[in-house]
Amino acid sequence: MSLEQVSNTALIVAFLLYIISAFLFVIAITGKKWSDRDPKEHTLRWSKLAFSVTIVGFVSQIIYFITRWIYSGHIPNANMFEFMTLLSMMIIVGFIIIYLIYRSAGIGVFALPVAFIVQAYAMVFPWEAEPLIPALQDNWLKIHVTTAALGEAFFAVGFATGLMYLIRTVNFTGTSKKDRRATRGIEFTIFAILVVVGFIGSVFLFNALDYQAEFSKEVIVPAEESELEIEQVNTEEVKYTLPPIVKPYKSEITSMDSYFGIQKPLMEAPFWMKGVNAGRKLNTVVWALLTGTLLYCLLRLILRKPIGAKIQPILSDLDPEDLDEISYRSIAIGFPIFTLGALIFAMIWAHIAWERFWGWDPKEVWALIVWLFYSVYLHLRLSRGWQGSKSSWLSVIGFLIVMFTLVGVNLVIAGLHSYAGV
Amino acid sequence: MIQNTKCECGHQNPVNTVLCESCGKPLIEDQSMEPLEMRYDGVVRRSQRGTKSVIDVVWSFFSSVKVAIYLIFLTLCGASLGTIYPQENTFINIDPATYYPETYGTMGEIYYTLGLSHTYDSWWFKLLLIMIGTSLVICSLDRVLPLYKALSKQKIRKHERFISRQKIVYTGEIKGIQDEKEAEKWVEEFSAILKKKFYRVTTDGSALLAEKNRFSRWGPYINHIGLIIFLLAVLLRIIVPGWYMEQYMDVLDGDTVQVPGTNYYVENEGFTVEYYSEDELAEETIEKGKVIPELFETKAVLYECVENCNDPFMEPILEEVTRHPIQVNKPLKYNGLLIYQMGYEETPLLRSVNATLKGRESGEEYGQFVLEMDNPKSNYEVGEYQLELVSYYPDFKFENGVAGTKSSDPNTPAFIFSITGPGLPDEGEINMYFPIPQHKVIYQEDQVNEAAGSTLVIDVGSMQDVDFSIYTSFLSARKDTILPMIWVGAAISMIGLIMGFYWNHRRIWIRMDGKQLLLGAHSNKNWFGLRKEVALALEKQGIKVEPKSLENEVKKS
Repeated sequence: MSLEQVSNTALIVAFLLYIISAFLFVIAITGKKWSDRDPKEHTLRWSKLAFSVTIVGFVSQIIYFITRWIYSGHIPNANMFEFMTLLSMMIIVGFIIIYLIYRSAGIGVFALPVAFIVQAYAMVFPWEAEPLIPALQDNWLKIHVTTAALGEAFFAVGFATGLMYLIRTVNFTGTSKKDRRATRGIEFTIFAILVVVGFIGSVFLFNALDYQAEFSKEVIVPAEESELEIEQVNTEEVKYTLPPIVKPYKSEITSMDSYFGIQKPLMEAPFWMKGVNAGRKLNTVVWALLTGTLLYCLLRLILRKPIGAKIQPILSDLDPEDLDEISYRSIAIGFPIFTLGALIFAMIWAHIAWERFWGWDPKEVWALIVWLFYSVYLHLRLSRGWQGSKSSWLSVIGFLIVMFTLVGVNLVIAGLHSYAGV
Repeated sequence: MIQNTKCECGHQNPVNTVLCESCGKPLIEDQSMEPLEMRYDGVVRRSQRGTKSVIDVVWSFFSSVKVAIYLIFLTLCGASLGTIYPQENTFINIDPATYYPETYGTMGEIYYTLGLSHTYDSWWFKLLLIMIGTSLVICSLDRVLPLYKALSKQKIRKHERFISRQKIVYTGEIKGIQDEKEAEKWVEEFSAILKKKFYRVTTDGSALLAEKNRFSRWGPYINHIGLIIFLLAVLLRIIVPGWYMEQYMDVLDGDTVQVPGTNYYVENEGFTVEYYSEDELAEETIEKGKVIPELFETKAVLYECVENCNDPFMEPILEEVTRHPIQVNKPLKYNGLLIYQMGYEETPLLRSVNATLKGRESGEEYGQFVLEMDNPKSNYEVGEYQLELVSYYPDFKFENGVAGTKSSDPNTPAFIFSITGPGLPDEGEINMYFPIPQHKVIYQEDQVNEAAGSTLVIDVGSMQDVDFSIYTSFLSARKDTILPMIWVGAAISMIGLIMGFYWNHRRIWIRMDGKQLLLGAHSNKNWFGLRKEVALALEKQGIKVEPKSLENEVKKS
């Protein structure tokens, strides 16, 4: 087995172990009502088991990290696959630290799924290691990206426990306006997570089926932008790996496998989506929303009540105030690390590589927005009435902003950080 | 209404004090039993004083955390608007008034009209930053001084209601305590336990105050000081002329260019670029036909002008000061001046040729001369011949029977010489010369010269006689005098954050009234840790309690 194969296998093993340990944590909590056992001892034993499996998974992930570093010749945090994997690894680090402080099995029930969903998302991107462009060949790549990811990981743990607080405390059967709004909010958050899961699922499914479709589109290059100073018509090509529900605006089919008996794209992207890639990205979003909705409806049909309401009993033994404090603690631990990694180290490196410490590049701006948002959170925590559910909502929204900064900016806005492979 | 501000313990408090500065008794009578608001230990801040002058109004506006939160929130929203479309400064040569509508349609036009294409330079964004700065200063001053005062003169024996309304409370009877002496002894023992936990303990008879990590309370203020220094540095950077410089230079291989606005000149002695080989790249990248540069570098020499500087009629005299191979993460540094590698472009431009003068028929060589594309000399002596440069067209064009030049870049260099010498007419023989072979063909050099009756040919022998510049290196020169202040600000801010977030200020109060033990504890964060610590300490004294049960049960109404 080559080093690359060892590395990839170790990563898949880690991923599977995280899924298993999440289930073990669920058993640690729900299983204590089973007959013939002492509830306290049951939780203790199963939590220990679940935590050990997590640790084994973490070790396996570290093996991936080190072997990949060796065979690719650089620290694996340079493209989207590597970065998201690093983030998932850091979420596990954050989880381990917070778990060792609070020793509550409940944290695992939510933090581990966040970690393995992030890991699965990473796996959607091309796995192959790319050599570094000159701008990235610096020690600051190791320092800046790793610290920033660790800070963000603590925000992820804060998000997981914040969401737990909300699911734990919301009265799903309540009929007051406040209860209904909270129920809707939680269901929407769960729906959003399912959209991500749906996206990952459909990409894996159609990759396994080796699905392909190709489109070409004629792009007119105006005279003043072309080298020969005459109007030119260029043909741009785009490859779809998800079946085209939406094709790029004004494009022709080069080749297309049929799917579910459908031979042609159902729709065309709107005119203001100019590039061929805009059409492809829109198609991906449509697939994510479709599969997400499908998953959500399916779950609702099976469970016959709001999904949050079904999760609530798992959390019934956890003290809401503890959850609130754990969420706050994780964010409070993460904030200085994030400041150091995503802002200060970033500024130092930007000064060395890009001749200015701050340049309002979209990624920089969004890192600043994350920082400002969590400063608002920390200041609001000082005020009466902002503990508990309000601050939990903030921790959920905050993590959404973090994910937009990490993924959305590259998908939608790009800029100097666009080498990340998307 | 006249408020009686004297506490029953005899301490005279300022108006609007929440908790007596001395004994901690709640002064605002609300009879409720819910946990006390412990911020700044209930002392009155300047912003809460009764009378209000104009300054007081401004002061209390900026001292409000609520206002600060709104300011941060507005800044956050404003900053996000600037990322919708690329900002103007990301382009080097565009007219924003036409660029945005053309590229992004109606939305682009709106974006430009609203001034969002330069969000971070707009007056409102700067105003928000200045207001945040002001808020940082005033919020901190308004709180840190009273807090310092309150923490430095704490009374040990606190009022019962102060202790019983803390968030962590324990009350119970201690068996076997008969008199005041034994109560004091119990407190002594407890104090020893807390001291082992690194508390600083002071006792007053049967009352006790234990405290640790008070320094963490200063964390937020130190962080704010760091941020203020940072923001001031950013401000000074804009205001003070000469403290910040930003210049861009395109330097052709082999050229020397002045760093605009300075006495420095930078020479590109040679530019190299290396690409990754195919076996180093991912398959997909190769499929797409992409190449990835591994390294690019400008062998740069920095000169300082010592004489004839800024004199348009004289060649400046340059003295080498330093040399450095500039790469992306390795700028040239000299005396506060930094020169960075920004990028490069392939520009196959002819720089000079080592031309040979030959007989057209005989092919006999009469001599060689170096002809430069940039500023050629007006006279050349080649063997026995004199070449006088009549015209030079760096970017030759021939339109409507007239020769001209499109630009000053030597893209299509063309020379017209008048040659005198043995066997030539006195008024000279006209010779047209295109150094680049394909131009010779396009513009029919030979035919033109033959028609003019030329007997000589100017030619280059081999590629070794041609000096090409293949790359233009894009360099950027920066001077940022204030930078150390920026780093100092960031470092202070970071120290403050670490102090404030990784330690927490814990206090425990005890008073014994006869057998009755009353314990209260307060922390600014991490109640979980404090509960555990108190429970552990009590256990050592033989009182078994669940940490969770220490939480004050009276919840907010």
